[in-house]
Amino acid sequence: MKILYTILLAVIIFTMNACNKETATTQTDVMNSMLTNKNWYLDYSITGTSTKSYVGQSTYFVTYLKDGTTKDSDGLTGTYSVELIGNQSQLHVQLKTAGGNPLEVIYNIVSVGDTKLVLSKVVTTGTATQLYFTNK
Amino acid sequence: MRSTRLFSNKFLLLFSIVSIAASSLTAQTLTKKQQDSAYLLNPGQERIRKIKKSLAKKFVNFVGNDVSLFGNLVLSKQSINDKGVTAPINYLYNTVNSNTFNSGYSGGFRIDGIYKEKHRYALSFAVNRVAAGNNYKNKYSLSPFIDDFTHFKADNNFTTINVAAHYKKLLPINAMNKYKFYAVFGPSFDYKISSISKENLINGAGNRAIINGDLGAEFDNKGYYVLYAHYKLGINMTSSSVPMQLNRFEIGMSIKAKDLF
Repeated sequence: MKILYTILLAVIIFTMNACNKETATTQTDVMNSMLTNKNWYLDYSITGTSTKSYVGQSTYFVTYLKDGTTKDSDGLTGTYSVELIGNQSQLHVQLKTAGGNPLEVIYNIVSVGDTKLVLSKVVTTGTATQLYFTNK
Repeated sequence: MRSTRLFSNKFLLLFSIVSIAASSLTAQTLTKKQQDSAYLLNPGQERIRKIKKSLAKKFVNFVGNDVSLFGNLVLSKQSINDKGVTAPINYLYNTVNSNTFNSGYSGGFRIDGIYKEKHRYALSFAVNRVAAGNNYKNKYSLSPFIDDFTHFKADNNFTTINVAAHYKKLLPINAMNKYKFYAVFGPSFDYKISSISKENLINGAGNRAIINGDLGAEFDNKGYYVLYAHYKLGINMTSSSVPMQLNRFEIGMSIKAKDLF
């Protein structure tokens, strides 16, 4: 009987432990899956009290591909990564300018979803610009 | 005419051979080895007999145990409070919030008995396939861009194993020697055995254990079958950044295993 109880207990403990748990990359994995392989069209840009609307114009879009590369409608290309710094989710983009110079742009991810994306450009001086994208 | 007679003779011959073969099979006796093994104790059966004996000794006050198999229709809805989620993720409220009871199913077995010849009980073990409607308690907005959204999308299709212990109170309704009505109540425990999506693990939201309070009514038709309706109100057993409340209605039937097999 003792053997049976032991086996039963072992099975219960194994079942309860053999479950998926949150890891360090869980949040960034989910955000990456929402971000990638879509054309994100800029709808609004807000700097301080100044709001610019581009709704329906499809003037600018940016794409983040699954292989870690990015390109935008202006022809800029580069690489990107989603990172969690402390509690802040950030999008780090390494671009090359038209002159071939490397340029890093960092955005705080304000909100990301299947169809809506809000980024806030990290600036050292001045007011940060918030960018509102949609992929529809 | 001749061909008919030939066919008839062949048929008779075939019938005779089959009859002889059949009689020889029925007359076949057990070999010496088979006879010996029939007298020897089967280790497996002996072990089961010992377990039964041991259980009977330990649970001497639990009598009249009947094992039944049951199946349910399960209507479920979960209320979700995503106040603890800090991840900057948005799910459009109208696409994730249904606020309805969705249907699932479950099946298992239960043991009905009497404790100290007075208190009726039912212990059950079930596997549930839950498909729950979602009611998100919080809405957020990012004007002028996103009207209503949530930070969390709960898994609403999952499988659990459930263990329940119910007390059954016989109700003085109708002729109780024929039809019996019971009020049942007691706790139950669910454990999610299906995988949890990554979205549900963010900020420690993932939670597998659910503790329920059950309440219901049962109708026993002369011991042939039991029809029942149960309501279960479940909450996360351990603390979670996304407390959930799982409301379930179970409508089902159980039949004694000995009547089925």
